[in-house]
Amino acid sequence: MSKDRVTGLVALATSLVLFALTLDLKQSPLVPIGPGFYPRIVLGVTAVLAAALLAFDLLSRKRPAERRAANYGLVLASFSVFGVYVGLLPFLGFRIATLLFVAALQATIEPPKGWRGWAIVVATALVTTTSAYYIFERQLSVLLPRGRWTDF
Amino acid sequence: MYELLLNGLQDVMQTKYLLPLFIGTLVGVVGGALPGITNTMTVIMVLPFTFGLEPLQGLATMIGVYIGGESGGLITSCLLGIPGKPSSIATMFDGYPMSRKGEPGRALWLGIWASFFGGLLGAIFLVGATGPLASLALEFGPWEYFSLFVFALSMVAGLTGASITKGLLAGAIGLVVTVMGNDPVMGQVRLTLGIPWLEGGIPFLPVLIGVFAFSQMMSDLEKVRGKAVDPLAKVVVPKLVVSHAKVVWEILSRPVLLLWTSFIGLLIGVLPAIGGSAANVMAYDQAKKFSKRPEAFGTGTPEGIIASEAANNSNVGGSLVTIMAFGIPGDAVTAVMLGAMTIHGIQPGPLFISQEPKLAYGIFASYIIAHFIMVAILLVGVRWFLKIVMVPKSILVPVILVLCVVGAYALSNTMANIYVLLAFGVIGYLMVKAGLPLAPLILGVILGDQIEINLVRAIMTDANPWLFLTRPISGLLLVLSVASVAFALWQHQRHRGRPGAVQEDGADF
Repeated sequence: MSKDRVTGLVALATSLVLFALTLDLKQSPLVPIGPGFYPRIVLGVTAVLAAALLAFDLLSRKRPAERRAANYGLVLASFSVFGVYVGLLPFLGFRIATLLFVAALQATIEPPKGWRGWAIVVATALVTTTSAYYIFERQLSVLLPRGRWTDF
Repeated sequence: MYELLLNGLQDVMQTKYLLPLFIGTLVGVVGGALPGITNTMTVIMVLPFTFGLEPLQGLATMIGVYIGGESGGLITSCLLGIPGKPSSIATMFDGYPMSRKGEPGRALWLGIWASFFGGLLGAIFLVGATGPLASLALEFGPWEYFSLFVFALSMVAGLTGASITKGLLAGAIGLVVTVMGNDPVMGQVRLTLGIPWLEGGIPFLPVLIGVFAFSQMMSDLEKVRGKAVDPLAKVVVPKLVVSHAKVVWEILSRPVLLLWTSFIGLLIGVLPAIGGSAANVMAYDQAKKFSKRPEAFGTGTPEGIIASEAANNSNVGGSLVTIMAFGIPGDAVTAVMLGAMTIHGIQPGPLFISQEPKLAYGIFASYIIAHFIMVAILLVGVRWFLKIVMVPKSILVPVILVLCVVGAYALSNTMANIYVLLAFGVIGYLMVKAGLPLAPLILGVILGDQIEINLVRAIMTDANPWLFLTRPISGLLLVLSVASVAFALWQHQRHRGRPGAVQEDGADF
């Protein structure tokens, strides 16, 4: 299935589901236009555009473009590492979670070789974490996430 | 006006503003020199650093980044043949051949001085036009605002990307994002799908950071094969000695070219959400069309470098006019600046220049002074910046993502913003893979609430829907919206089938 067909189908399905949900919104007695009025217009337009994309793709005779070789494994791994980081942040706090994240993502993107490689990974993680903490929390008074498990 | 500008210049010359402006410009030049790191990315990275600063300090930092970034990109374009960012692609067409002919210093400094003069021409427009345009916008009622925002969105949707349907769909998806959470009129919770952190709505800055940062980072990672260190790591810095007086004269002796291409840059800048990448290519194209020797373009002609660089710096002036007069971001960088302004409780728009004259003229002054700082920084450090390309992606990507997390979290000290960041990081990347342009999505997210509020306000004032068409300015803007879509359709039709019209995956900023 072509990319446009998948995009059109996903956008059409999502907009129709959300459109259906707007029908449950209660009309306010104070305002002549209810909270569902504008979302219905937006979702209706989105559905029409998604259907148009789908139709154009179905009617089109062009062959799908050749796909470039891409390292999707690395993209998926990087997203996963970031997802784990986001999941751990409220439990470990900014400092520990960031230290682990920076080291893990570096190792994912370019697996370190030998003790020198690992030293660069650890040093980068340490410098990034401590400088971010020092600059933001100490100098700029920007609060960073605290960990429920670590309490800092 | 000139007295206020003079006061602004005096304010910004104080160390407390000059230092952030200098640091911002330096960071901008470095970010600009890094291939693959756009101005948007650099300004996103700098954003969290501005939270603890005074509003003018923060905005001066961002303007520094903006100006520095526009100029920093030309270093690698001219000397290595790799555009530091999309807005210096056209600079490479002649900058690199000139370098290869043995004149790297001339190529580089033609670009830098053209950026300087183009930027200062942009400043004249910025200072002169913002006030009158804001006064015009003050006459607007909700009908005109609604139509203006629709016009902005339709124009962006039409002009970005290879498919107008996809552009419009991306804009509509941006609007859908804004209908989730509280309705802006009565505060009723809607379409949250039972997710508690969606009840307050989706803040646009984490969306913007997620969409732009991830789509770019991940698109870069796709290309990593084995060792992630750039093969250009061993950069040989060429001799860059040049007579500056000669280079400046080379530019100023072509006043029509400088004025015309700066004007093109300004015009593109004023159009919402279309940035320097379009400005430099269009200016280059115009310079070639009007040249007596079009065949010389692409072989190392100075006109090509001057056109491209004058346009991408004057473009910044145009973008700032749009955000300051109408509250509509001229491009992704000004969208981040809009977010920074709202964090400091400042609402850009027609009232901004009259209610916050100190800040407004401080912005003008920062914009002007940043150009002088940019030249000074490049005079001292251009050789060093060339070595920046040695920084490997395995270090850059995690550091940038940490700064994105800090930026998103610090907006309201809540994890919800980081969840939004992650969610829209995935959505942004998938949109890029699907060929949906990101600029209309972001503009939709930024303008969605305002479109709804003005639509409801207009209907509550007078239920007659024809007023949107019969009020002259509103009607004109709606006609222009339809015309911009029609024009884009015609243009797409014309380009269809031409060689090189194949759409590529990649982040479009």
